[in-house]
This record gives sequence, C-alpha cells and structure tokens, in this order.
Amino acid sequence: MKNAHETLVLLLAGGVGSRLNILVQSRAKPAVPFGGIYRIIDFSMSNVANSGLMKVGVLTQYKPLSLMSHLGSGEAWDLTGRTRGVKILPPRTGSKESDWYKGTADAVRRNIDFIESNPSDEVLILSGDHIYNMDFAVMLEYHRSKKSDLTVAMMVVPKSQINQFGAGITDKDNRIIEWEEKPAVARTNLASMGIYVFDRQYLLDTLARDKTEVDFGMHLLPHAIEHDNVFAYPFYGYWRDVGTIQSYWETNMDLLKSDSGLSPQAWETITNIEDDNQISDRLPARFGSKAELQNSLIPAGCKIFGTVVNSILSPGVVVEQGAIVRDSILFQDCIIKKNAVVDLAILDKNVYVGEGAVVGAGDGHAVVNRESPKHLYTGITVVGKRAQIPAGKSIGRNCIVQGYTSEAAFPAEDLSHGTTLYPNSELQ
Amino acid sequence: MLKPTTLAMILAGGRVDELDVLTYGRPKSALPFGGFGRVIDFPLSNLMNSGIEQVAILSQYRSYSLINHIGTGAAWDMLGRNRGISILPPFIGSDHKDWYRGSADAIHKNLDFVQYHDPENILILSGDHIYRMDYADLISYHKEKDADLTMAFIKVDKAKAHRFGIGELTEEDGPRGGQLTNYWEKPENPQSQWASLTVLCFKPEVLYKMLASNQKETSFEFGRNIVPAMMEEGYKIYGYKFCSYWGYTRTINEYWQSNMDLLGEDPVFKIDDWNFRTNLDHRNIRDFQPTIVGDYGTVQNSLVYNGCRIEGTVRNSVIFPGVVVGKNSIVEDSVLFFNNVIGRNCCLSKVVADVNTVYGDGVVIGAEVGRQARNVSVIGWNNRVPGQVYIGDGATIWPELKSGDWKKCIQSGEVVR
Repeated sequence: MKNAHETLVLLLAGGVGSRLNILVQSRAKPAVPFGGIYRIIDFSMSNVANSGLMKVGVLTQYKPLSLMSHLGSGEAWDLTGRTRGVKILPPRTGSKESDWYKGTADAVRRNIDFIESNPSDEVLILSGDHIYNMDFAVMLEYHRSKKSDLTVAMMVVPKSQINQFGAGITDKDNRIIEWEEKPAVARTNLASMGIYVFDRQYLLDTLARDKTEVDFGMHLLPHAIEHDNVFAYPFYGYWRDVGTIQSYWETNMDLLKSDSGLSPQAWETITNIEDDNQISDRLPARFGSKAELQNSLIPAGCKIFGTVVNSILSPGVVVEQGAIVRDSILFQDCIIKKNAVVDLAILDKNVYVGEGAVVGAGDGHAVVNRESPKHLYTGITVVGKRAQIPAGKSIGRNCIVQGYTSEAAFPAEDLSHGTTLYPNSELQ
Repeated sequence: MLKPTTLAMILAGGRVDELDVLTYGRPKSALPFGGFGRVIDFPLSNLMNSGIEQVAILSQYRSYSLINHIGTGAAWDMLGRNRGISILPPFIGSDHKDWYRGSADAIHKNLDFVQYHDPENILILSGDHIYRMDYADLISYHKEKDADLTMAFIKVDKAKAHRFGIGELTEEDGPRGGQLTNYWEKPENPQSQWASLTVLCFKPEVLYKMLASNQKETSFEFGRNIVPAMMEEGYKIYGYKFCSYWGYTRTINEYWQSNMDLLGEDPVFKIDDWNFRTNLDHRNIRDFQPTIVGDYGTVQNSLVYNGCRIEGTVRNSVIFPGVVVGKNSIVEDSVLFFNNVIGRNCCLSKVVADVNTVYGDGVVIGAEVGRQARNVSVIGWNNRVPGQVYIGDGATIWPELKSGDWKKCIQSGEVVR
C-alpha cells in the first residue's frame, strides 16, 4: 500500500464568477469551456495529477452539475483506483450548524471530516478558476524546506497591477511579514494566487479557532502572518484569472500566439473527452474547398466552409459558405448559416445564427451594456446557450442575448449596442 | 444479465506485398486511415453498432501496434462482464507447435476459446476491410435461411473480380441475398461479379466439423479450402448481398483513393453517418490540443484532426494528429500520418507518408508547385528527409533510411531502401 502521507488536495470550485455573465448562467465558473476542448478546471486538475498528487476533494456549490459530469470518476486524470480519487464535496445538511459554504475557509472547515479521513502531512488548497501550469511537488518541497506552517504561491506581477490582488510583503527569506488586500499604493510585486500549502495539523488548529473567519485571504492569512510561519512561494510562469468577459476572451486568444506562454499541450493539460457532448466521437475537422482560415483554433468535429479569422472554435461548430467568424469564441455545435457574420463575440453551446445575421455589428464598442455595465464594456457581445438569432437580424456591441432565446422572441428591429434580450422578449 | 449469442472472430491479417512499406511494422488492420483511426476500427465499429460485443482478434504478424490500439476494448464499449476483446496470439502447447498456417488453422487452434463461449453463431471477419455493415441483419438472414454458412458478397468490376473469392448466387431473395450455387477462389475467368467480403457466419457445429477435417490438408484458408469443401459436401450456404461503399486498400493507389473518397462536396465515402469509433488513448491522441491554422495557413477540402499546426497550404488531403506544415509549404492530395513535420517551402503532391518523418526545408515530392503528381509516392516511417531533396512521383522510400542513403534527386518510381 502506498505511503499514507500523500498530500491531500482541496479544490475550491464553488464560486459563481458572476462577471462571466451568461457563460456562468448554467454552470459554475470552473466548468466554463476554454480553448475549444477544455474546461477551466482542467488546468488545476491536470496540475494536480501531473504533480503526482492523487487524492482530490472538489468543493462545489454553485450550479455544479456540468462540473460533476466533467470530472466523472476522475479517470481522465488517472485518478481512479485503490489509493486515488476525486471526491465531490457539496454543502450538506445534518447538523445544527449545517449551511451553505460562506467563504473559502468556511467551505474547508465544513469538510474537516474529509481532511481527517485522509491523513497526510500537508494539505494543498487551490481553486479551479485559473489558467496556469505549476508543479506542486516543487512547491511542497519548498514548503518543507522552509519549515513553513503555511506557504502561499505568489505571482510576480508588474507593480501597476498589484491593486487587483492580495499582496504580500516579504523579507529576504521570502517570509511574508505583511499583507494587503488590493492595495492602492504598490509596496510589493508579489500577488497571491490563492494557492496554499498548509501543514495539516496547523490547518485543523487554525480552522478550529473561530468559525466567523470564513475567508482565507481576508481572515486566516493576516492572522497567520502575524503569529505563525508564513512563506511566499514565488511563481514566474503564465497565470490568468479569467474572471471577466474581457480577460476570458484575451486569455483564449493567447492560445493563438505562439509566444504567449500559454500551451495546454506542452503543459500536458488533460480534459475529459468522454463527457461533454462526447468529444471522443468527433471526426476530423472538415474543411470545404472554399474555406478561408487565418490564425484560428479548429478542433475535430468542426465543419468549415466559410471564413474563420482569429477565432477559437469548439467541436462541432459549422461555418457555412459565405459566413464569416472573426475575433470570436464559439462553444460546441454552434451553427453559423450562410453569409452570417460573427464579430468579436462569444457564443455559448448550440447557438444558431441565421442566414445573413450579424452578431457584433457597428462601432459601438464604447456603448456599455445597460443592464450589466460592469460585465460588458469592451465591445464583446455574448450569446447564451441554445439561443437562435433570426436570419438577417443585426446585433450590436456589448449586447447580451440570454440563453434559450428563440427566434420568435426577437423584436422586429435590430438590437442596438448595449441591449440585453430575454427569452420572454423582454429588452433591457 | 444477457449472455451474448454471437462470437466474432477477427482475422487481423499481416503483411501485404503491395503495401510493404506501410505494413513494414504493423499488420494491415493496424494501418492508419481517415485522419485519426485504423483500418480495424471499421469492423470493430460495425460490431459495436451491430450489438456484438464478445470479440476475439487472431493476430500473429508484428502485433504490438494492434495490441496497443485495441487497449481494453473500452473505445468500442466492449468492456464489461459479458463484453470483451481478446487478442489470441499463436502459442505452443501439447500438439500446437506452429504459427498460424492460415485463417482456418488460426481458428482451429483456438477452438477451446470458442467452445468456452459456446455461441449460437460464429462470425468470422477479416480485420482489414473498410465498409459499414449491420452484422445483425446478416445474422438474421442466416437464421431465416437456416443456413450452415452465410457469407457477405459485394458486386465488383469484372476487371477486378479475379482477385477475389467469387460466388454465384441465386435471385432467391432479390437484393437481400441468395443461395450460393458455385464458388471459385481467385478465378482467372470469373463467371460472376459477386466477390466475397470475408464476412462469414457459421453454425458452430458445422464450423467445428469443417475445421477438423481441414487439418488433414496442406492449406488452411476459408476461401481456398473451407468454402469449396462445404460446397462439395452439399452444405447450405447463403450469400448476403452488400451494396454500400467498400474501400479497397490492397495497393497503395487503392489505399490512397479510399482516403480521398472521404473528401469533396459530396463524398463517395460518407463516414460522418457511420458512428465510427477509434481508440483515442492509443498514442495519446486524446491529449492533443486542437489544431491551429496560422496566419499564413490555408486548409481547403481536407480533413484534419487535433494536434496539428498548419502554417502553409493544405488541399485535398487527410491529415493525422501531430502534423506540422511549415510556412510556404504546399501539401496536396496527400495522406500524412501522425507526427509528420514538414519544413518550409516544401511541396508534397500525392504523398502517403507514414509516421514520424521530418522533412527539411525545400523538399519536393511528387511534383513541383502548381502541378499534380501522376502516381502516389510512399514515404516509410521514421525518416529524416534532408532539405532540398527532390523525390519524383511514384517513388517508394523505405522506413528509417540512414543519412547516407539519401540523394539530392530520387527518380520517379524509384525504390530507396
């Protein structure tokens, strides 16, 4: 039997990621498709498996069904068998204090039983929201060499960006001596990646201290920095939090730049091909005799008879002759009919764009979405799952077409910039 | 729990003379086809779609690639208590010392296995044909007719008929089938156009009896020996008429053409409708990221699987995972297997390239830019083609040439070992 001291992994996958708007309408953020065939959680899961870690508890809460189906038995990451496993840990009733997870530390605290049944020297806590490649075995070695109670992986960012992150000020030894959440004035260039290695007993003791401490970054970390041994593990590679529509779009587009540093294949990022509309059954991508392509990602299962430029497609997308897809991201099985145009847009699964329709028309990039101005303001238009865009209809910039909106729900006029359309024909 | 009633036995085949380069290190059934699969995926997908999930594969020639490809059988859903794919290699034992001496001998040596499963029907298929058939329909016909043996036949051109086992069938059931009244193995002057597809459904007791008596002979093939013997002894043999696409793959030209049949506005070979499955764990092709067509890339009238990087032009071609086409290079009318890496300014016309070959800059194979090669060239696996080499059309380059074996100019039709 294997050494029982294999580090236990807790993957926090319960977040809403609300700024991703319709992309998280039916699924949790870690389950959002990425790069054609992946889901965001594949990066964390693959890092875990490729680091040799074998026991993962996935804490779910918001709309977890796609995520659970995608993780399956864990087989895709070879995490099945007697000493391995992927366990879904949802919030559950049964005791007086049972409740939904109220924060990152609260979620872990409510799963102390899981930690206790899987003894190990350390516990690795991370989220499933980020795009990066890391060998956790190296971080664990570092943690042990520092005799640290808690090690926080920290990314080196330009000082101008530090105001977006939890920031750590360190001494020469990389011990964290001060912590600031989203500081206005930059005193450091080390940003928290939300990846923590805890000594197991230290974690249990810390969690036991005060049940109102619900967040690692906001509550547990500052306390630990003041009283205990907390070290920063500097990380220099590619890392993105795809938490907004704009950053989600940009990060996808990095797949097309050979010098971006983002390379799922080189990173050995693995996805579950058995789930998810059976990526495993897709035939090679078919290109028609008049297909025009430039700088795009085309997975198996696509049928391209028109033009695709600077775009990321997913399996099963059909682009008919005369249709143009540009600067866009299309999820599985979207159909773009003859002479339609999709420009600077993100289309969820099974969206149908009728003949001659235009998704992303005109120059209104600066006209923000009226209903969700903080989500869409850079010009990207988003269309929800299974929406149907009528033939000839034009949709402006920063628009939202909610999932399941049928052709009949569309108004007679085109959708002006910044408009949101609902399946019941409500227009905002 | 439902016990399966049909046991399928696939003859994995071996080396094929006319495909010698491509079957250098693998049996024909393991030959890559169609951009991501292997020839044996066709009978396996047919079996899966016909609900037949207890399968044995008889293999003896260089089986490694095939064994890896089959894996656990899970790719075709043949994994479970009453489902499975068993690979049956030759073995030594009390009185079986030889390699398989022929298709019938191979089955005979494995009768223990067959009788252990005690099937109602035994379906024997060759593993190296490309077609889509519902075997359940053939078995149903077999039972309706209470036949001792039912064989599938396809109508072929008179000009080609001498290559096949040819049967004369009655019109008893019109387009569905008829009784076999005559059978000739590779006749010089064929009297019929119905060619055997090497799909044979036997009543078990009949098969056991014929295999036993065949052991006294010196040749052990179904087509050459078993079927004629059964005709002579008056057994009831029926022919099931098959009328759909069948991909010929005996020669390099036929193999190339069958791949090309997948392409076009209205392909002759409509694989999209076939529910075709391969094992994506083999060579870990499941872990490839999607193909990227670069800034100067063009892909037209082609099939491309994941894991490729296209910076040049690809037309009328079938491209397997891991292929790289460098800037300014043109690949036309070609089939490129896994991990072919083509440099810049190359021109490939009508090339079938086996796995893992790297092409230096400026390599021309088949024809110069703007022209089309007449004949298909074959490049064996694991080669490093030096830059600026010119290879004329119809040439054959053997696997793993040493750097000293290469010349600046290889003539049309030349064979280089």
